[in-house]
Amino acid sequence: MNRSRLVSLLVVTLFVAACGSTGGGGGGGNSYAGKTIKLGAVYSITGAGGVYGPQSRDGAMLAVNQINAGGGVNGAKISLTVEDDASDKAQSAQKAQALIQQDNVLAVLGPTLSNSAVAVHPLAENLKTPILATSTTGIHIVPDCNFPDTTPCKYVFRDSLGEQTAIPDNIKAYVDDSHPKTGVLLVAQDDKFSSDGGKIVQATVGQYNIQLLKTIPFAKATADLSPYVTQAVQLKPDVIFITSLGGIPAKIMTSARNQGWQGQFLGGNGFNTATVSKQAGAAGKGARSASAWYIGNTFPTNKDFVDSYRKEFNKDPDQFAAQAFTGVLILADAAKRANMSLTSSSLASDRDKLRGAMESVNIQTPLGPFQFTSDHDVKQTVWVIQMDGAGGFTLVKSIQPS
Amino acid sequence: MDQQIVNAIFIGSIYALFAVGYTLVFGILDILNLAHSAVFMLGAAVTYSMVVNHGQSFVVACLVGLAASAFIGVVIEYICLRPLRRRQAPAIAALISTIGLALVIVAAVEQGNVGSFFSWLWVDGANSVAFPAGTVPNPTWHVGDLTLEATKVLIIPISIALMLVLGYVMRFTQVGRGLRAVAENPRAARLMGLDVDRMILLTLVISSALGGLAGILFGLALGDISPYIGRDNVEVRGLAVIVLGGMGSIPGAVIGGYLLGLIEIVALVTLGSNASGGVAFAALFLMLVLRPQGLFGTRLRERI
Amino acid sequence: MDFFISLFSDPVGFWNSHTLLISQIGINGIVATSMFLVLYSGQLSLAAPGFMAIGAYTSVLMDLNWHTPFVLNVVAAVLLAGVVGVLVGLPVLRLRGVFLAIATIGFIEALRLGVILNLPITGEGLGLKNPNADPLGGVPIILVSLVVVLFVVWRLTRGRLGSAWSAIRQDEIAALSQGIFVARYKMIAFVLSALLAAYAGALEAHLNFFVDPGDTQYGVTRAVQILTFAVLGGSGYVLGPLVGALIVTLLPYIFEGAGDYINIIAGAFLIAVIIFRPQGIVGRGGLAIIRPAWWPRARLSAPSPG
Repeated sequence: MNRSRLVSLLVVTLFVAACGSTGGGGGGGNSYAGKTIKLGAVYSITGAGGVYGPQSRDGAMLAVNQINAGGGVNGAKISLTVEDDASDKAQSAQKAQALIQQDNVLAVLGPTLSNSAVAVHPLAENLKTPILATSTTGIHIVPDCNFPDTTPCKYVFRDSLGEQTAIPDNIKAYVDDSHPKTGVLLVAQDDKFSSDGGKIVQATVGQYNIQLLKTIPFAKATADLSPYVTQAVQLKPDVIFITSLGGIPAKIMTSARNQGWQGQFLGGNGFNTATVSKQAGAAGKGARSASAWYIGNTFPTNKDFVDSYRKEFNKDPDQFAAQAFTGVLILADAAKRANMSLTSSSLASDRDKLRGAMESVNIQTPLGPFQFTSDHDVKQTVWVIQMDGAGGFTLVKSIQPS
Repeated sequence: MDQQIVNAIFIGSIYALFAVGYTLVFGILDILNLAHSAVFMLGAAVTYSMVVNHGQSFVVACLVGLAASAFIGVVIEYICLRPLRRRQAPAIAALISTIGLALVIVAAVEQGNVGSFFSWLWVDGANSVAFPAGTVPNPTWHVGDLTLEATKVLIIPISIALMLVLGYVMRFTQVGRGLRAVAENPRAARLMGLDVDRMILLTLVISSALGGLAGILFGLALGDISPYIGRDNVEVRGLAVIVLGGMGSIPGAVIGGYLLGLIEIVALVTLGSNASGGVAFAALFLMLVLRPQGLFGTRLRERI
Repeated sequence: MDFFISLFSDPVGFWNSHTLLISQIGINGIVATSMFLVLYSGQLSLAAPGFMAIGAYTSVLMDLNWHTPFVLNVVAAVLLAGVVGVLVGLPVLRLRGVFLAIATIGFIEALRLGVILNLPITGEGLGLKNPNADPLGGVPIILVSLVVVLFVVWRLTRGRLGSAWSAIRQDEIAALSQGIFVARYKMIAFVLSALLAAYAGALEAHLNFFVDPGDTQYGVTRAVQILTFAVLGGSGYVLGPLVGALIVTLLPYIFEGAGDYINIIAGAFLIAVIIFRPQGIVGRGGLAIIRPAWWPRARLSAPSPG
């Protein structure tokens, strides 16, 4: 064996050892070259949740494509399987089960609707698979996914801004500006998202000395909401709180303005899509809500996101696209640091490692700087926005996380 | 309370207009056409799409919306009903075939997005939209405590006029007599030389055009058009209305529509909003138990 | 297509990763059989979702508040539904056809919108969280229940009850003139159907961490879906509604390839099946081939080429 061959052998050995040690050390340098990080998502593409699901899918796929085009996660490509749950709770759980147990995904994004989430999240917890909610905002999502059992769920995370944060922040911001004395709450009583929001409004107003004159619940499938609005308007409140979604908030705003009421509308996540602003038109001008995301933010991660989304899909992104995009960034960052083996026999331990790494995520996202709280909920800047009366929003103020 | 009566009359007109088409088909065919709520939605969706996406004037858009609704009437007859009649299928089969068609229509609109296969029909997916301000002038009058919006007020005379015309046609014209003969006894009508299939086709076209018109007026006055407006707002209430008024009776459907609007409002005002949804259905239940022929029905049918 | 490939290539793995789907098929099969009972006795009742709600809420509330064993909860839930069934049946069973259908819609929506959504104990619009649910362990009990239910109902249709129901379905007035106690036999079918629906509702609640008061769960939408099971599958034979439930529950998988347009294809499929098989898939001639009327009939009569 001559000298030069000995040296080269030594170099190779050292190099291999070095790689091995960084890999074992759990730093940023572990290589997944040639492997695949399998992720799944359950979104409502068809059915009533189709208002949100398609944007979530598009946002998530955009992030996956960008990461893969940039060399992947430590050399591994991400593959994302998106399943449609048809806005149905039972199908949502079925699709999640197949993703987890048949497709062997490392983690699941979704589902779109709160009703489905409260059925699917405990299932993922049971199967010890990380699940990241990107659009659900109700209560008892994190950490108490098994409510009324209050044991924190280890595998359930959420990157969408809960109504529990959004509604109080929004009310506080408005109280700081004006000093409303009375309010009426209009709440759709037959879906979980809206009912949760109503409970939060009722629990919050007292802190700010707003007298809630009346709570007016209604069924979502009410043809004409004018009678309910009439009841509200006749009490001459300073504020009308609306916790509902889909086409309802705009219907209420239009009817209240037509009946000559001039006060302030305050709401929750149900206001936060451009479609609602567009549907309400002039009647919605000034209606305020707290949002996880604001399209006009010009910091680089958001500007890049908005530009590439527009280029890819020929339309503006919305909050749901931004949150799903962020969801993939979070999982990719966690995967990068999780030092997984990514073999078929290591699935359970890989899921555990990924879960552990998710807890310490700290990255820049289109939502702003992003971390999880110890409850696995979002810790991010909240953007208070108001409708501009022409189908868009303007930023009122931003609130830093406490 | 005054404003609430205005509200009741307005929504009652929508219910009535929707239910007249529903009850017309039931009266003549003894079949519940469960695609009727999808036609209601399609009328509104097509009209909106013609105004906003295809740049037509509101009048042209309305005509296209009505034509599309009437066309679905033809589809219902040729695809969902006639093949079943030919096979002497039980009437219950028609429930399923019309449900299937409703599913197709709603799904087609729901999947209408920019760049999708149905973008010519609709581009707002599952979202709710409203006609842009100024599509139709909508002055609002304040009379005392009352707020009267032109679009809502307008619906009342339109509904009543149309129902009078329909009543006249049914009672005093050749076509009306033919339709009534078919309703009474299709076999006898055929023996008398009436083209029964043609009469049924005509019924479905008229019924669907009325359903589409109800949808257009609903979308215009309430500022809410989405793939689900039919299913959520009028499908089940339409049933309640035709039962209240008496299955198959046109004046019954009109009165039933206003009655349901009134029941809902009275329940809301007196019992509070929690109860109002349940009260309409409890009323429906009681009506059937106490007076199954409805307010204006005269005979009970045994076939479904 | 992955769905069916894995079904045949790796049945064990498929079974283990689709227990929720299989459970749902089983539950839908039981509800479909409940629908069969009323249709078989000539009653177009759409009350099943109401009784499912009674079953689900009763069993979960007993568990949450009294921590009673599952079996007891289910038995109590089913009995309560039976009582409600009698109370609802007494006034409405005089009604026929579509009138009965609409009256029962009145019942389920008054129950859902008027009662369930307004009582604090039922969680109002928030629904009920059910932390003791066992989504993955329910398959054996559900499938065994389904088989038992099918067998019992099949035996019933073969006995005196069954012939009375058949007679009533074919001609109520003739049945009456033959001395059949029409009202009593109709009530028996209605209450049995209520018991089955409540049982299915209690089982379904046990599979889910969440009892949801929504329309797709206990409202008209669910009623229409259950009716579709029975009519599509065929309501003349016990197995018909089960076949309907199987097909309708699997539609999202059968037409997976249609992607976003799945509901359009599924709707067209429903129309096509009902047009070609108006009596349902399982009808006269057993599992007959789907054949339109213009299709050449019976090869048997064709002349054989020597």
